[in-house]
Amino acid sequence: MHKRLAALAATTFAAAAIAAIVAPLSAQPPRPANPTDIAGEWTLTNNEEDTTAQPPLGDYLGIPFNAAGRQRADTTAESIWGTPEYQCRPHSAPHQWRGLGGARILKEQDPLTRDVRAYHVQFMRSLDWPIFMDGRPHPPAWAPHSWTGFSTGQWIGNTLKVTTTHLKDGYLKRGGPQTSDMYSMTDYITRHDEILTIVTVVDDPVYQDEPYVESTTYTIDLTSNVAMETCNGSSFAENGGTDRHHVPHFLPGQNTALTEWLKKDDWIPVEPTRGGANTIYPEYKSGATKFPASRSAVSAEKDIQAQSPRDGQVHVLPVQGNIYMIVADGTNITVSMGADGVMLVNSGSAAMSEKVLAAVNQLASSAVTPPAPNTCFGAACPSAWGWASPYMNAVISSPAPPKPIRYIINTSAASEHVGGNEKLATAGFFPRGGGFGSAVSSVGREASIVAHENVLNRLSTPAGPGAKPAPAAAQPTDTYFDEFHKLPEYFNGEAVILYGAPRANTDGDSLVFFRHSEVISAGNIFSTISYPAIDLEKGGGIQGVIDGLNRILDLAVAEYRGQGGTWIIPGRGRLSDTADVASYRNMVTIIRDRVKDLAGKGLTLQQVKAARPTMDFDGRYASAAAGTWTADSFVEAVYRSLQEKK
Amino acid sequence: MRRVLLLAVAASLAAGTAAYAHHSYAATYDVTREVKLEGKLVQFVYRNPHSFVHISVADDKGVQQRWAVEWSGTTQLGNSGVNKETLKVGDDVVIMGRPSRVPGEYRALMLTLKRKSDGFAWGSPGQQVD
Repeated sequence: MHKRLAALAATTFAAAAIAAIVAPLSAQPPRPANPTDIAGEWTLTNNEEDTTAQPPLGDYLGIPFNAAGRQRADTTAESIWGTPEYQCRPHSAPHQWRGLGGARILKEQDPLTRDVRAYHVQFMRSLDWPIFMDGRPHPPAWAPHSWTGFSTGQWIGNTLKVTTTHLKDGYLKRGGPQTSDMYSMTDYITRHDEILTIVTVVDDPVYQDEPYVESTTYTIDLTSNVAMETCNGSSFAENGGTDRHHVPHFLPGQNTALTEWLKKDDWIPVEPTRGGANTIYPEYKSGATKFPASRSAVSAEKDIQAQSPRDGQVHVLPVQGNIYMIVADGTNITVSMGADGVMLVNSGSAAMSEKVLAAVNQLASSAVTPPAPNTCFGAACPSAWGWASPYMNAVISSPAPPKPIRYIINTSAASEHVGGNEKLATAGFFPRGGGFGSAVSSVGREASIVAHENVLNRLSTPAGPGAKPAPAAAQPTDTYFDEFHKLPEYFNGEAVILYGAPRANTDGDSLVFFRHSEVISAGNIFSTISYPAIDLEKGGGIQGVIDGLNRILDLAVAEYRGQGGTWIIPGRGRLSDTADVASYRNMVTIIRDRVKDLAGKGLTLQQVKAARPTMDFDGRYASAAAGTWTADSFVEAVYRSLQEKK
Repeated sequence: MRRVLLLAVAASLAAGTAAYAHHSYAATYDVTREVKLEGKLVQFVYRNPHSFVHISVADDKGVQQRWAVEWSGTTQLGNSGVNKETLKVGDDVVIMGRPSRVPGEYRALMLTLKRKSDGFAWGSPGQQVD
């Protein structure tokens, strides 16, 4: 059988195989007393289609693409791997089993019971991939995504079912087919003597109409040693030129390489090479028009919404160093907590102020003044005060009050970010005025509010008929107008720097960099649930947003393999890192280029909208979670801001 | 004119699997076209999985553009007699390469390299250096 037909047959077989495995789920067998040991060194057996290599450009045979997935693949340029943010990335999760270098599976045991607490899978180009077997839940949707994701395992008879969520966007196969960051992956790992069979189900509701299924085979290898390929990438762009922010991509219809391979394999009709759910069924070849449906089990819309839940609640996520992320009814607040007190980046909506304040106080109490048993007593620890044992004092004293809110930084004048200013600032304290503080009762009694001066302008003298200024206590007390603004001294032991982002979402956006904790609070410039909401009336523009995102990428450094390191807290959505910001920057840049190209051809705004330049990203950024900021809103903002530039 | 035919690095550039990182040559570069680059070497990054030569080349308007020319990994280059000392910043070189598939991108895949000062030449499998 020719390889291409074999591919289709293999996929069909795999689908049947997975159906056979999944079928018993309704009556799951109990965990076997002694499950098969899958640990060891394994060698990839090259007997499946596309193993280790990659299909030629434009070969989507067997991939149940939807139209968005097809366009995303068509317009993806392999040169993207030359950009600084991509050079050290490992293979994407769906490709790891197919990558070179074999696989090592290790067991992590509970020291008391010797139960397997986790398996750890390693490949040549991977990070450690833990599969937790101890029943722990998956993290909340606002937790970060990684290359390996978060995996839990469960034995189903002789098969280990591994469920992986929280994966970053990447590629389904190398050379074109992409995944969004909303996919989940399920691996069914079965050992038969010296053979390990892995059936992988990739369920990406953004780019696929049905889950993609493939199988991979390994054999035990007692002498192999899975090497670690270190990253020797560097910060220069391998794509040449002098623009480190260059985003390689093809405009729709520009990629002429998609059918090159069919010149050689000219017996293959073009249609099935474009992928699609229908094409993976045997009935397709016989000309059938009706096919069984196996829709995605994942709801992208629901999962995107969950990253930024409008639930009227406050959720706290520890980030790094001094920094915590509070998700307050879907809006993110960055919190710095330490010996100097509390700093907030943004204050959430007015309606959430009470709950935010309660959460901040609770956090301040537990993080800064945790109750601790006395360790100083008797002759070994004489009292400095001479009248009581420190032991007695520690026991009879109540805990110190939580440190006050000293600063609120506003990244913009958006209502969801300044709504809590008045309430939270009033609850805070800033020792402004030094010894003169007591002379005027209102001085020094509120937290200091810092922002770009256009935030103050907008809150103090809002435009529009009937618009009322914000209460005085809600207005910034310290503003800046320059490229950046450093807080004059360390706060909680670190420098805090505001970087202005001119003409981004508005004319008053800031990024806030916590230089020791390695956290950037990005405000509305970055969102994981929507396109950037650009307000042209308030001085926003597409290039300013791109520049702001690039500024984040210039400041941030990944910890390892292009992930972790500097954390970025978006205005809304999940905690992110450089890779996530790079993906978002790429998306915004790609759409800017497409709109620019269409406008350059003389298309009107309506014609540009009709051309759907955002089509392959709408499932990700124009869901219900984005609210009223639709794909059309974004396209119009891009179009008009490009017109203004002329 | 000196003509050199090197075959030592066949495994690397022909099959393109040993030195793969994530990207493939065939997907990144248009293997049906060639581009000639003539200019001064500004950086030589001798590393794995792929080395890079950066040269400054005047475009058709006379503006200097920095090109990144992708080369083999250190093992393959070492086997063909190229080490990290072989090329120096400032060398005048002529490079024939495969251009990027992305229009307007200043990157290429090395086919041949020749240094003007001493005639040093390198060629990928089957490539003649004139």
